[in-house]
Amino acid sequence: MTLTWRSVALTAVGAVPVFLFPAPGTVLLWGLVVLALCVLDAALAASPRTVAVLREAPAGSVRLHTAAESRLLVTHTGRRRLRGLVRDAWPPSAGAVLNRHLVSLPPGESTRVRTALLPTRRGTLQADRVTIRTAGPLGLAGRQVSLTVPGELRVLPEFASRRHLPSRLARLREMDGRAAVQVRGQGTEFDSLREYVVGDDVRSIDWRASARRADVVVRTWRPERDRRVLLVLDTSRTSAARVGDAPRLDAQIEAALLLAALAGRAGDRVELVAYDRALRARVAGMAGARLMPAMAEALAGVEPALVETDWSGVVGQVGERLSQRALVVLLSALEPAAVEAGLLGVVDQLASRHQVVLASVRDPEVEDLRADRTDLMAAAAAERTELERSAVAGLLRGRGVEVVDALPDDLAPRLADTYLALKAAGRL
Amino acid sequence: MTAVIGDGTTAASRAGARWRRWRWVLVVLGVVLVAGVAALLPEPRTSGTPLAPDNPGDDGAMAVAEVLGEQGVRVEYVRGTVAALAAADAGSTLLVSSDAMLSTEQVRELADSPADLVLLDAPVLAAAVTEGRMGFGYPGSDQALSRQTAQCADSDARVAGAVRTGGAGLNGVSGARADTLCFPLGDGRFAYGSTEAGGRRVDLFGDSLLFSNARVTDEGNAALALRALGRHDHLVWYIPEAGDTGAIRGQDAGAGLTALLPPQAVALGLLSVLVLLALAVWRGRRLGPVVSERLPVVVRAAETTRGRARLYRRGRAHGHAAAALRAGAADRCARRLGLPASAAPEHVISALARATGWDERTIGELLYGPPPTDDAGLRSLARRLDEMESEVHHP
Repeated sequence: MTLTWRSVALTAVGAVPVFLFPAPGTVLLWGLVVLALCVLDAALAASPRTVAVLREAPAGSVRLHTAAESRLLVTHTGRRRLRGLVRDAWPPSAGAVLNRHLVSLPPGESTRVRTALLPTRRGTLQADRVTIRTAGPLGLAGRQVSLTVPGELRVLPEFASRRHLPSRLARLREMDGRAAVQVRGQGTEFDSLREYVVGDDVRSIDWRASARRADVVVRTWRPERDRRVLLVLDTSRTSAARVGDAPRLDAQIEAALLLAALAGRAGDRVELVAYDRALRARVAGMAGARLMPAMAEALAGVEPALVETDWSGVVGQVGERLSQRALVVLLSALEPAAVEAGLLGVVDQLASRHQVVLASVRDPEVEDLRADRTDLMAAAAAERTELERSAVAGLLRGRGVEVVDALPDDLAPRLADTYLALKAAGRL
Repeated sequence: MTAVIGDGTTAASRAGARWRRWRWVLVVLGVVLVAGVAALLPEPRTSGTPLAPDNPGDDGAMAVAEVLGEQGVRVEYVRGTVAALAAADAGSTLLVSSDAMLSTEQVRELADSPADLVLLDAPVLAAAVTEGRMGFGYPGSDQALSRQTAQCADSDARVAGAVRTGGAGLNGVSGARADTLCFPLGDGRFAYGSTEAGGRRVDLFGDSLLFSNARVTDEGNAALALRALGRHDHLVWYIPEAGDTGAIRGQDAGAGLTALLPPQAVALGLLSVLVLLALAVWRGRRLGPVVSERLPVVVRAAETTRGRARLYRRGRAHGHAAAALRAGAADRCARRLGLPASAAPEHVISALARATGWDERTIGELLYGPPPTDDAGLRSLARRLDEMESEVHHP
């Protein structure tokens, strides 16, 4: 049984008889009258257990910070008119602010209740219980039940870095020769021979081929294609640390998504592995339009684990996936202690066979500490941290690893730029 | 997807679940209730107050009070002066035991009581009533218990014959018309005396424990006590209490705070408790359970750097801090000037000297000189390093 504000008001109205007949007995009597009325009202309320609740939405998935809707079909199967409240409960990060709905249903009728959702966290959101509270005819008391109506909403990564995609694709097209500017260099491979037209670079004339035919023939070039790109997302403890307002992992996911989109368009085969001590997520064998949905889906539920990365396991994963030379992008942290204990021991095995890029999120807070001259000890500590980072980065560069160390918002475009540079240089 | 109707419970299963959930609370409540009722039940009231009619101990007087009650005397035990005076009218007996707690005012009011008086260990009251003709002996001059005969004309004493008594005793001016002193203890002291004062009889017991439970059966103690106390069919047994100011003048002072409030106040207070209860039930029932969620770990990445700064500060490691600041500044300047990371100090110094126009010795001192030993030294070093860096970056 539940009470409403009216029952409290009714109890307070008892001040009138109590004022007229000031005795404890009057209070007792009034209390019993109110109690009897409340019990009667609750008994006359429509039973919430005769209400059929069907979850119609959500189904599927939605991007982070994008509006979604939770929809319930509420059907009243009882005999008395149902007046009351329906609460569609979701976890706090679903952003279901207005989740209480007044319903008034005659027997046998249905209504839809809609709750706007605005997810603020990546992952799978499970709907909590649906609570129905009915009120009696007097509005003094009612009955309540909480039903388990399963439903889930998959919240995909935001992919805010996709705003960098058009400019990177433009640069890719420049390299591809589809744009007006013809580029030719190390990063391109011989494509075909065609007849010379006015305006072609005379240096691209293939004299030998021209001699064999009556025409002047030029060679055409195109960038390398069908290279393999393996993104290794480190989900260990270093990815759990917060940089700015979000965990490191979020910036790494953004960078992975942008690189996957870019490399997918460039015709490379993109694979993804999320790993700490075990495989957390994997995308392989996807190309074209199916690649990005698969990536988003795989990365939606990835959460950092408070464990140390098993780098030999990472090497094992890489060896399992790749047989020929490829681009291996390690989305990890440039933490001196963690790198020295883990990655440095195995980096040679990777770098000897593949082009390795380490993408790490840099902390703007350390930069601020370093520049802050009011606390010199903090500035010195930040300075030491930076020195150690750059020393480790130097060590890795010495082993042939490209190191991209950027602020959270810059990591995705910087990594994309690095990819384009490597591609242009033909180092994939 | 199918529609969900109800939560799979029936009225019986809900009642069972509720019973299982609340039974321990109910058990505890029941125990508390039973204990409360037991505490409120009229228990056989006894006390440890000396000479009280409800004290069954050796120094109590329950035995005499019970016998008097059986003989038809209404024994009224009071602890307040007001109550005692209200109960003791003419034709009743007022027993006062010990006047040490009484104020002068209370003594005067008691002395003016129309009831017959029986005084035990009440020298001030005795002096007031008998106008000094009789008094109690000094405490501490107690005599040993011994058997004494009446040796006087008082009928009560003569009927008692002999008593076993001791204590401080009474003294007084014997031979005055209405004064009788009985059971001489020697030294001019007596165990019992009676007199007429203000038209009523006043009995004095020199030995306050004469009719205590322990000694009332000795010799004629019981006879003397019963005759003295049972003279009227109403006995007011007054034992003054510490803290009782009497408050004889104003009868209203004894009334509590509730008497000052309007009659509705108490009932309205009870009603407001009910309203609060209803309010608690109304607000206390949630619309469904609270939804919880696992939160991600959010340790700031810069926490390790801050921790190192705290270590430096605690260890007053000015040398380490200065080394870090110098290495950082040198590293940035060298990169700016295009020197390799492995450049020797001399090369760095000479390059910096060319870039800044500073003296080589100054730069050498700044980058590789002795470490500072205090905050001021560290601060000036940091300032100089910043100056040098700004020179390099903005030539």
